[in-house]
Amino acid sequence: MKSTSLFVVLATLFATPAIAGDVMPSVSFRYAGETAETPDFQKHVVPLLGRLGCNGRACHGSFKGQGGFRLSLFGYDFENDHEQITGDDYSRVYVEEPEFSMLLSKPTLDEPHGGGKRLEVDSWQYNVLHRWLKEGAKGKIDGPLKLTQLQISPSELIFNGEGEQVPLQAVAVWSDGTSEDVTALCRFQSNNPTVAEVDADGRITSGQPGDTHVVVFYDGGVVPVPVIRPVSEKVGPKYPAVATRTKIDELVVGKLKKLGIVPSEVCTDAEFLRRVSLDLAGTLPTAGEVTAFLNDSSPDKRARKVEELLETPAYAAWWTTRLCDWSGNNPDFANIEIGRDQVATDWYDWIEKRVTDNTPYDELVAGIVLSQSREEGESFQDFCRNMCGIYGDAGDAEFADRSSMPHYWARSNFRKAEDRAIGFAYTFLGIRIQCAQCHKHPFDQWTQDDFKNFEAFFTRVNYGVPRSSKDEYDAMVEELGDGKKGNQLRNQLGKMLRDGKPVPLREVFVLEPRNNDRNRKQKDDKKGYRSEPAVAGRVLGGATIDLNEYADPREPLVEWLRSPENPYFARAFVNRVWSSYFNVGIVNPPDDMSLANPPSNEPLLDYLSEGFIASGYDMKWLHREITASDAYQRAWQSNETNRRDESNFSRAVHRRLPAEVAYDAVAFATASESRIKEMLDDPSQRAIGVPGSGTRYRPRVGKTDASFALTVFGRSVRESNCDCDRSSEASLLQTVYLQNDGDVLKAVEAGKGTWIGDVRSSLGENESAKPAGKDDAGNSVQRTQQIRKRIAEIAGKAAELRRNGKGKEAKKLVAEVAELRRELAESERASRRKDRKEDPEESIDEAKRPADVSTNPAELVELAYLRTLSRLPSDGEIQDALAYVSSAESKHEGLRDLLWALLNTKEFVVNH
Amino acid sequence: MIYRTCDGMQRRDFLKAGAFGAGLGLSSYLRMASAGEVSPKAKAKAGIFVYLGGGPSHMDSFDLKPEAPSEFRGEFKPIETNVPGIQISEHLPKLAACQDKYAILRGVTHSVAAHQLGTEYVNTGSRPLASLEYPGYGSVFTKEREGSLPSDLPPFVAIPNSPQRPGFLGVKYSPLNTGATPRPGQPFAVRGVTLSGGLTVTEVEKRRGLLHKLDTAFAGYESDSQLLDGLDRFGQQAYSIITSKKAREAFDVSREAPSFAEPFGDDAFGMSCLLAIRLVEAGVGFVTLSLGGWDTHQDNFTKLRENLLPKLDVGLAALFVGLEQRGLLDSTSVFVTGEFGRTPKINSRSTEGGRDHYPRCMFMLMAGGGVRGGQVVGESDETASGPASEGFSPDDAAATFYRNLGVDFTKEYHTSSGRPITIVRDGTPIEQLTA
Repeated sequence: MKSTSLFVVLATLFATPAIAGDVMPSVSFRYAGETAETPDFQKHVVPLLGRLGCNGRACHGSFKGQGGFRLSLFGYDFENDHEQITGDDYSRVYVEEPEFSMLLSKPTLDEPHGGGKRLEVDSWQYNVLHRWLKEGAKGKIDGPLKLTQLQISPSELIFNGEGEQVPLQAVAVWSDGTSEDVTALCRFQSNNPTVAEVDADGRITSGQPGDTHVVVFYDGGVVPVPVIRPVSEKVGPKYPAVATRTKIDELVVGKLKKLGIVPSEVCTDAEFLRRVSLDLAGTLPTAGEVTAFLNDSSPDKRARKVEELLETPAYAAWWTTRLCDWSGNNPDFANIEIGRDQVATDWYDWIEKRVTDNTPYDELVAGIVLSQSREEGESFQDFCRNMCGIYGDAGDAEFADRSSMPHYWARSNFRKAEDRAIGFAYTFLGIRIQCAQCHKHPFDQWTQDDFKNFEAFFTRVNYGVPRSSKDEYDAMVEELGDGKKGNQLRNQLGKMLRDGKPVPLREVFVLEPRNNDRNRKQKDDKKGYRSEPAVAGRVLGGATIDLNEYADPREPLVEWLRSPENPYFARAFVNRVWSSYFNVGIVNPPDDMSLANPPSNEPLLDYLSEGFIASGYDMKWLHREITASDAYQRAWQSNETNRRDESNFSRAVHRRLPAEVAYDAVAFATASESRIKEMLDDPSQRAIGVPGSGTRYRPRVGKTDASFALTVFGRSVRESNCDCDRSSEASLLQTVYLQNDGDVLKAVEAGKGTWIGDVRSSLGENESAKPAGKDDAGNSVQRTQQIRKRIAEIAGKAAELRRNGKGKEAKKLVAEVAELRRELAESERASRRKDRKEDPEESIDEAKRPADVSTNPAELVELAYLRTLSRLPSDGEIQDALAYVSSAESKHEGLRDLLWALLNTKEFVVNH
Repeated sequence: MIYRTCDGMQRRDFLKAGAFGAGLGLSSYLRMASAGEVSPKAKAKAGIFVYLGGGPSHMDSFDLKPEAPSEFRGEFKPIETNVPGIQISEHLPKLAACQDKYAILRGVTHSVAAHQLGTEYVNTGSRPLASLEYPGYGSVFTKEREGSLPSDLPPFVAIPNSPQRPGFLGVKYSPLNTGATPRPGQPFAVRGVTLSGGLTVTEVEKRRGLLHKLDTAFAGYESDSQLLDGLDRFGQQAYSIITSKKAREAFDVSREAPSFAEPFGDDAFGMSCLLAIRLVEAGVGFVTLSLGGWDTHQDNFTKLRENLLPKLDVGLAALFVGLEQRGLLDSTSVFVTGEFGRTPKINSRSTEGGRDHYPRCMFMLMAGGGVRGGQVVGESDETASGPASEGFSPDDAAATFYRNLGVDFTKEYHTSSGRPITIVRDGTPIEQLTA
């Protein structure tokens, strides 16, 4: 149905606004005919080349240039562009006879031009370039002029039907007080062309209902213009009364009102419990928890549940995992004496301790950003000894108790200042500054100059051996290193460290300020790791700072982060947390905060960021504030007005469970009660407790290598400074995994530590008659034999190698044999268990069996629902399930299939 | 949702991007068309990538230099192949006997001497970048063939696993890892595909019936969400793979006629080759397999002679011959490579010597999909220390491979951080291979 037909078309458009009298009219009028005016290179020529497409990526904006002519992409490198156009080496301009300049003859096709015809002779565009050439083709002498404002009118647009048109007008205000209509020189872009299209001249045409922004670009200015076309006629006075219980709701509904979107109802208690447990603690509620919550009739039970969840170890584990994603805990890049896995664990534990203690976010970040390996006043010898106290087998000190987390700076992909600038901006500011590394940022104000100045803060952090302790370090290496080098040395030292011997360690430290009068080139040195210490830097959008005044140039950086005026720091975190609850951020993607990507609800983001700062960066405040809102507690059931809404928070959006949460959810849904309790108490037995991530890293959950499952479900790989390193898409292999992977099939069987195992024993259904059981036993016997054979083979090989004097290779094989022996022992235990007439497993389970494992099939069906979908089944569902169970060979097998089916419903793998 | 790109273009939902409409201007389309990259007459319907992990010694396998000084040439002798004028190592007799089926690329050269980075390079065709993960060949191929591959088979299978990852294309294009290699004459269980624990198709169908009945919570709201729609689609496909006789039988190498299976020997690599043929025959789009252990810093010659070359010889020759026997060689593009070659000069780390990492000169093999077998393309200098003239890069090989696979390698994708990425940015197809 075409919803536009419902609306009365009200043409309340703010067309053609009045512009103040002293605004210079557009170049398109001024240069339409003869004129004595001289165009300005920055104000007119470069933007015009942009409008004509000359400096686009496919043309002369390409890094290789085109036909030897290379303009800066998006044109903000005035010096280069002027040189390229007018430089003597190129003969591209003839000031005496401008029309023979390549700048004109090529785009008019007087001479062949690979880019085709771009310009009509005698058009205003032609005249601008012609006049500029004629008057000497001057560039900028004193550096670029500053654009103080780019005024766009209308500043907001509301459409009421499809196909309505409104032209935009842009006025540039320069620092010298002059202003000019620059509409004809702007670049325009719609963030969602299905809602509003914009043509090259800035004319907007309305499309489908919804909201978006049209963005106007000119010089350094980037201005988004909100465009709304209401979804229904329920706007203004016609909007129904919607209660706004919290400030968040007030702000969310404020936007919905403009859009004519009516929010969904508040969700049921069961939905709330499931949703908030998964979101806040990465954990599926237990069956008992669901029942208790449903039976609780107190009005504040939702708020109390949030408080309860905030105190669980799972809350800390899950948000630590997210903070590890954002900060880049990837041990692939940690070639450190203590070993890669240890680095990942340290990183995770250090953050987890602070999340558990609810350390203010700014303090947590300062501990990472300002980190050095040595505590204040710690000597090199003390440092090495103290590390031994942490990593030595006998030591009982904890890395997490150190004041800072230096591994962040020690990563091998994080040694160059430019990589640090990009990673830092991603992690703590939620912005993508990498574009400005090579050219003017196309969607933000950042220039290459801004990038270079930002890089400066990262040039004095180093990982290695500081000069002051080099002698001590070398002496210890000499003494302990057996002449080894590189990785071999690191491995040896790591081993000695674990054995409890202090060893020389490399460290993160800060270099002294650079001596000004030594005139060294500010260029990366040949190794490509370190950068020359910079003497001055500039925080993004801030003033220049003399870095030599600081013992640690990261100090002013952290001061900037923590200043309440910082436009990114609090917002980036608030926005990321919000996006974890709502599928999309208020700015989305959440790691792309830029002028051209404005928030969908600015007052909401302002409110949360300011509140977060005012709370003292209290992360729990933020979680409480969000989860307490009706906006978060909306039902997923949509209505006519909000069916299409995925960005204004009018309903719950279906979200696939994150990889770790999905993995744990399968474990919780299928585990015995006692096993569930273990997992609740100790997140390190769960996927949300896996510290590292990376392509070489093997995530282990308990004894299981969970790499395959976690990869298939899109766990963050933490390597490219992008929130998209984590994926929440659906995929074929995910459903293959849930339907038929051995790990899942095993979890729904009657085995050790599984719920179906408990069910089987409580039902008194003997396993020995069942083919599946036999099969298991058969398998473990077979497996035992296989392992024995393999051990014999390898041992033989090892002996042979040793005979041939290849002791080292033999040693490797011996280690392999040891591992196999362990497996063998386990396998033998398993087959012994099967062999025994009286199944000890069963009797153990009997003893452990919780009182509430029922024998009543209907109650068991109910339990299966509570365990998986966290709700009670409907009458129809009970009937279907019971019919299935009673037709199965045994009840526990029927329930096993039911459990399997429930795990494979969309409702299970989706948070809703 | 609109993603913005670093270069000023924008696109809708990057999964749909890549088509001309989203990101590519008309001028670049025309440029590609004139370069002949649009709609190539590719013959291949499937791809097989054989990864020789560790970096095989080119001088002891496919690029011998019998005239080179003894500290270079090593102890192996060249033998004639069934194509006059082409010689390869004496320890590759079976491959010598089917030289007409494949082409040798010599003098391939690059400069990445570390295993991991080199591996990424030859598995993606793009020199690795710290800030970005490129998708492997299999991921790109399955993305480009999305919708045209059989729905009851996994589109991309890695035996037993693969360095090819989907990178910025997203988890959808991950390979199904078999996790193990088949054993001769034995049924082969594959994670997620094979029914295990004594399950039968009837039982799976019964379970599925129950699932169908119960999975109704979101009924009527599916169109609200791409996710729900996707889950339904993939659920259906997973079910058809699991219950498909075709899939089960394709994976089960024990079903192969003994006469056909015999030449593959009983080693894991040979069995992987046999499985690859069965999968491609059934309709799987892309298969990777691997033979590792080529990192012969020590005892180079013993390792090659006793172990590596014989395994390679048996498996690969059987693969080429088998593909041809089944009539699949033309429609399957095969690419064999390690991450680099090995130092021409023999080191003295062990009594008999070894060879170290050497990306400046290496070999690659290609077959099928329009490649003319029985030729050597490219040449190394007299000590195999570098290409004799310009040489080829892994990017060139990648461009060739993609072209043989019918994938337009000049096509642009966009990463979700908005960066435009050409499938192969720096490569030019090696014309002579298909000429």
